[in-house]
Amino acid sequence: MKQVWSVIRREYVERVKTRAFILSTLGMPLLIIGIMAVVGFVAVLSEQSERQIALIDLNGQLGERVQQALDRAGYDVELAAPGTDTEDLDQQVLDEELEAYILLDDTTASEAVFAYRSKEPPGGVRSQLMRAAIVEEVVDLRLGEMEDGESVRRLFQGGSLEYEPVGLDEEEAEEAEAERITGMITGIAGGIILYIMMLAYGAQTLQSVLEEKQSRVVELVISSLRPWQLMLGKIVGVGAVGLTQVAIWIGCVALLASLALPTLIAAASDFEELAQFRQYLPGPGAVLLLVVFFLLGYFLYSSLFAAVGAMCRNLQEAGQTQAPLIFLIIIPFMLQMMTFQGNNMQWMNWVALFPFFSPIMMYPRAVMGDVPAWMVAVSIVLMALTVWGSAWVAGRIYKVGILSQGSRPSPRELLRWIREA
Amino acid sequence: MTQNGTVVRLSGVRKTFGAHTAVDDFDLAIEPGTIYGLLGPNGSGKTTTIRMMMGILLPDGGSVELFGGAPDFARRSRVGYLPEERGVYEKMKVLDQLVFFGEIRGVARPLARTRAEEWLERLGLSEWTSKKVQALSKGMQQKVQFISTVLHDPELLILDEPFSGLDPINQDVLEEIVLEERERGKTILFSTHLMEQAERLCERVCLISRARKVLDDDLKELKRRERTGVVAVEFEGEAPPVATWPGVSEVEEAGDALHLTLRDGVPTDELLAKVAAEGASLRRFELLEPRLHEIFVRHAGEPAEDNAPPQTGGAS
Repeated sequence: MKQVWSVIRREYVERVKTRAFILSTLGMPLLIIGIMAVVGFVAVLSEQSERQIALIDLNGQLGERVQQALDRAGYDVELAAPGTDTEDLDQQVLDEELEAYILLDDTTASEAVFAYRSKEPPGGVRSQLMRAAIVEEVVDLRLGEMEDGESVRRLFQGGSLEYEPVGLDEEEAEEAEAERITGMITGIAGGIILYIMMLAYGAQTLQSVLEEKQSRVVELVISSLRPWQLMLGKIVGVGAVGLTQVAIWIGCVALLASLALPTLIAAASDFEELAQFRQYLPGPGAVLLLVVFFLLGYFLYSSLFAAVGAMCRNLQEAGQTQAPLIFLIIIPFMLQMMTFQGNNMQWMNWVALFPFFSPIMMYPRAVMGDVPAWMVAVSIVLMALTVWGSAWVAGRIYKVGILSQGSRPSPRELLRWIREA
Repeated sequence: MTQNGTVVRLSGVRKTFGAHTAVDDFDLAIEPGTIYGLLGPNGSGKTTTIRMMMGILLPDGGSVELFGGAPDFARRSRVGYLPEERGVYEKMKVLDQLVFFGEIRGVARPLARTRAEEWLERLGLSEWTSKKVQALSKGMQQKVQFISTVLHDPELLILDEPFSGLDPINQDVLEEIVLEERERGKTILFSTHLMEQAERLCERVCLISRARKVLDDDLKELKRRERTGVVAVEFEGEAPPVATWPGVSEVEEAGDALHLTLRDGVPTDELLAKVAAEGASLRRFELLEPRLHEIFVRHAGEPAEDNAPPQTGGAS
């Protein structure tokens, strides 16, 4: 066991030290933050204008309201005196004294259609903000004329489906709802983490095995270690690297969230809503379940990836050979995406029982409470059995493969390896 | 320490790769405390034999014993094995790599570190301790690899072509270390295709040619037995007509000297007497020891470099 520990340590230390790991671990969050910052900066920059925007109201009802609304949206517009000739304004635009002017008329007052007259089209951000501000004012204006304006206004908010679980009182129902949302968030995040871990780090296990085989170091190592010890050490070592990476990422998110939280609190008008946020954090049960699914899923795939690495002579060969494994990971992810989009397909619960699909499909279902507990239990048992079986098979392939320098075995040879190892 | 009893024993071992027989009907017994040379041209089956001793390959027939039992894990860990393929973790630092190898062979981390540092010092690699292995020359990498095989102080060293790729100075250093290990009571088996090397180091040799053992003997004994009655003579002035002498079956010119092959049963005294009778004056008269190379050629034909059949399974 001490030797397995040495292998784990070597695998971990040598990987964490590499530039690739540091870059991918720190680079990913930095890149995302950077892109967001640049996009935001560019958008703000493009909205800053030295020149004036004018506003002319031919209808006479909207002018001031719209000016104020645009002001709130961050646009300083000058309301032209009533009776100003639009040709005059056009000329000012042509002479570049004005950047643009907004023309409100009777159609605006009835349908919120307005003209933006300028030499250049407005940017995406500007169109959105202006349109929203003006539509809001027009709606207000029109509803103000109606008797039951308030209820119509609420109707505009899109209505809502309010799920009322039968047999629960109000408090319980609220709790159930919170649980559902938590499950959703945990399920999506967990599914993605599992997907990345199995795909990226499974593939790294393969690479690590292949490197040792190609450089023939394995011949030196194997004289002091049993093949399964080496394989286990590798899988655990690489997995630990993956966990480190995920932990760093989660840490970054937590850090960002805590930095952004004061802003959030300042911005939120409804403190109660924010306080409720805490109840959406996943409970220890969900985290424990994630660990279980992670361990089973990662061991399942990385042992098979290790076997593929041991079978092949070079990366090209390995690329082809690992294709079935990659599909086995991608397919449940796609199916799961469909589920997240709200397609309530019950038969998918049965698909999720397929051990190779379970980590990505069963975990979100379990935390969202979409499947009965017995199904989760069955799935875990099935996965454990599959891990046991695949580790046995992979171990045998690995044992023969790492020392064989011949070409990739045919399926029949592979069977012989498994039988005779 | 079980330094009594045979260290390695192969009986009737056979290994084939497809249609190619790499090792056939091979017997071998290595006694403790000897330096044993496994000799033969490239592709004759040396590496395959060694790999079977290490349990890396399983024989198709016959049996392999290490320290009196199957080459299982526990027995293998008493061996220091230097494979022919020079595998290293290229991206690891020299010392880290050695400590790792020490550790997986059961040496505690601090001890592995001290030993590795001592060996690096001894082999002149001290300043490379914290360099990545890939920055080292092939020869230096080979020395690092050698250190990794002796770090756990094994009872038996199995070295597959340990000298190839080393410059003469480092070959000497390695030879010295091998002899020293032998002094410390270790058993050493090494394979080589360089006959001179084997001649200098080995106490016993085993000659392999085309998958079969052709000779297996004590080196001194072998040379005495293989002595063929060739006498090197050099004369002052003109040589007498040696070819016509009755006791001489063959004459070969070798620089200034003549190599005379005596007929069976003709003692060297008779030749000496004949020289005296002819009145010739001798500068040199020497009964030649056969060189290992000649013995090999005599038993197995010319050890040409390219007589190996096409390889499968990467074994040689």
